[in-house]
Amino acid sequence: MNRRELLGVLAAAVAGSAPGRLSADGLLARGRTAHRRARGRALQVFDPHQAETVAAMAEMIIPATDTPGARAAQVPEFIDLLVAESASDEERASFLRGLGDVDTRSRDAFGVEFVAASEAQRVAILAGLDAEVQALRQAGEKAEEHFFQRLKWLTVYGYCTSEIGATAGLRYETLPGSYDGCAEVRASRAAPGDF
Amino acid sequence: MAVPTFDAIVVGSGITGGWAAKELCERGLRTLVLEAGRPIDPARDYVEHVPPWEMKFRGLGDRKALERDQFIQRHCYACNEYSGKFFVNDRDNPYTFDPAKPFHWIRGRQVGGRSIMWGRQVYRWSDLDFEANARDGLGVDWPIRYADLAPWYDFVEQFIGISGEALGLPQLPDGKFLPPMALNCAETVVKEAIAKRFGGERVLTIGRCAVLSVAHGGRAACHYCGPCERGCITHSYFNSIGVTLPAARATGRLTLRPYSVVHSVMYDEKRDRAAGVRVVDAQTREPLEFRARVIFLCASTLESTRILLNSKSPRFPNGLANSSGELGRNLMDHVMGGGAGGIIPGMEDRTVHGRRPNGVYVPRFRNVTTAHSDFLRGYGFQGGASQAGWRRVDSLPGFGRALKEALGTPGPWRFGFYGFGECLPRPTNFVELDPNTVDAWGIPALRIHCEWSDNERKLLHDMSVTAAEMLEAAGAREVEPFVEQNPPGLTIHEMGTARMGRDPKTSVLNAHNQTHDVKNLFVTDGACMASSACQNPSITYMALTARAAAYAVDAMKRREL
Repeated sequence: MNRRELLGVLAAAVAGSAPGRLSADGLLARGRTAHRRARGRALQVFDPHQAETVAAMAEMIIPATDTPGARAAQVPEFIDLLVAESASDEERASFLRGLGDVDTRSRDAFGVEFVAASEAQRVAILAGLDAEVQALRQAGEKAEEHFFQRLKWLTVYGYCTSEIGATAGLRYETLPGSYDGCAEVRASRAAPGDF
Repeated sequence: MAVPTFDAIVVGSGITGGWAAKELCERGLRTLVLEAGRPIDPARDYVEHVPPWEMKFRGLGDRKALERDQFIQRHCYACNEYSGKFFVNDRDNPYTFDPAKPFHWIRGRQVGGRSIMWGRQVYRWSDLDFEANARDGLGVDWPIRYADLAPWYDFVEQFIGISGEALGLPQLPDGKFLPPMALNCAETVVKEAIAKRFGGERVLTIGRCAVLSVAHGGRAACHYCGPCERGCITHSYFNSIGVTLPAARATGRLTLRPYSVVHSVMYDEKRDRAAGVRVVDAQTREPLEFRARVIFLCASTLESTRILLNSKSPRFPNGLANSSGELGRNLMDHVMGGGAGGIIPGMEDRTVHGRRPNGVYVPRFRNVTTAHSDFLRGYGFQGGASQAGWRRVDSLPGFGRALKEALGTPGPWRFGFYGFGECLPRPTNFVELDPNTVDAWGIPALRIHCEWSDNERKLLHDMSVTAAEMLEAAGAREVEPFVEQNPPGLTIHEMGTARMGRDPKTSVLNAHNQTHDVKNLFVTDGACMASSACQNPSITYMALTARAAAYAVDAMKRREL
């Protein structure tokens, strides 16, 4: 089924249901506004400095290349939402401690806060944090609770489920229309199991 | 005001309620369907095509709301940010259990019931299952055999549309199948390896599922968007809203009343009949009564039993149709979660396109032809192969451009087998009314007593061994057997508590799902089950319901009811 045929089927299905008077495209757009409040909201937890630190780190994890990066995908806003509304008090405090510790490391090593450090200095700090996570993994210990692993998970999840990340970065398809269980890999397409 | 009177009342509008409504209406009865929950409008309520960025928590869910309002339901994978609205509020719908013996009761109250977010897997029972109790001396013998139900399986399957592969196995009879969905590359490798190594004793096949692989009955084929549990605007998978209730409505004889919480069944002692039902209006809390010549309880296993336990009269002080004392006893659920996972090497240049709402199945192979020394009965495996893409990337080392590039490339093929095993019927697993707890409508809540026995634990262990054997036969790397500790209930195959049987002294229902005690009262949901087999049970409930409805109408025509 190609996309045109599929939309025809969807339109017919909606027309066939008594309360449905939406077109197929209207159907796909349904809900697009319902959750817009999730975007563009004011930060709830991070102060401007913390937000900039998170944004700088997230952009280093998923940088803008030929497609947009974490900052353009509003990953810091998503992380703020989860830290504010989903995390427990303890998890929130732990995350903010970890964030503060990034500045401590930066000051100890380079005499400036993370956001004021040079690109090479920032890379050194992230590489150190990432090495700690990998060391925990290799030792069979819980890496998930390490601040940098939390940030990395949140950044990857927030980017890939954002409109920019999913569509520009991963070519997410709402309506595949058919199933091929042994298709050739094409570059930069999301693995279906992920959505 | 006169009490509204119908030919038939059906309590519940889900998998079995929809079938009872269709069959009773089509056979000429003016039928009232009472649904405890709200109406569902697919165009408004189905959310399968809403992308993650439209959801506030991107599909992760509002953790605090879940912990407050759905502290039980949230254990089900399908109770997520999209589909959570199809699961009950646990504060409004309490039940109790000994904290040392948890039971996770996963429930849906809305028109369509749990048929909206069910797992859609469809497997017939065979005489290996219907004869199991008689063979082992456990529970009571089923009053029916496969031959009694086979034509009704045919009837139901042809109407709703089942995709699957015919195998000719005696322990898992073939159905009326639409073309099977495709296996993916790694599943094909495992299928061939199992065939080679286990010579027909173990077989891997694509799941048999109530999802249309081709257009059927005026419904479009699946478009592989993936998350059926969020609803389906094209009605490509079976639920009662899209399939059975429209057929009932088309007769002009259906009255569907949502927001109708059934309190009890009224018993007319003089005429020795069920007279009707007492209802609490879910919105106004107003008490209401409805009367009918015949009553079908299709409210789900534990809700139907709860209604009967709460229907007390001088003749039936311990619950209606409970002269046997068996009402509430022999609660079962499939024991799930033994299995193994591993990586199937190779095929790095291959991936899948589309999100197939179905996996693979390995039919039962234990205690089929030869008796196993450690345990009774058996289990089947569900599972399948997939490649993680971006969801694996946070666990890769590093950051920056290389990590970003990994987001769009599939990881290795991972294969998982996940077992579902038979639970033996035991009178010590039972439900009763809790004298100290009522729900939001003032109706007594259940107290559930249920735990696994050694036989179920041995099945779980064996699943982990045999799953690993199959993966190793397929050349899998990093094979990891596992045994999960899931509480009963979470498989959402809860059944029993009003079992069928031949003897009114030891069973609640006869061979036609009619209560031995009250002739115009039928229970056709999972409460009727005398044993659990290991197959997903919904298709059997549907076949039993259609069969019971035909029997009831015939008996009414003969003036026996």
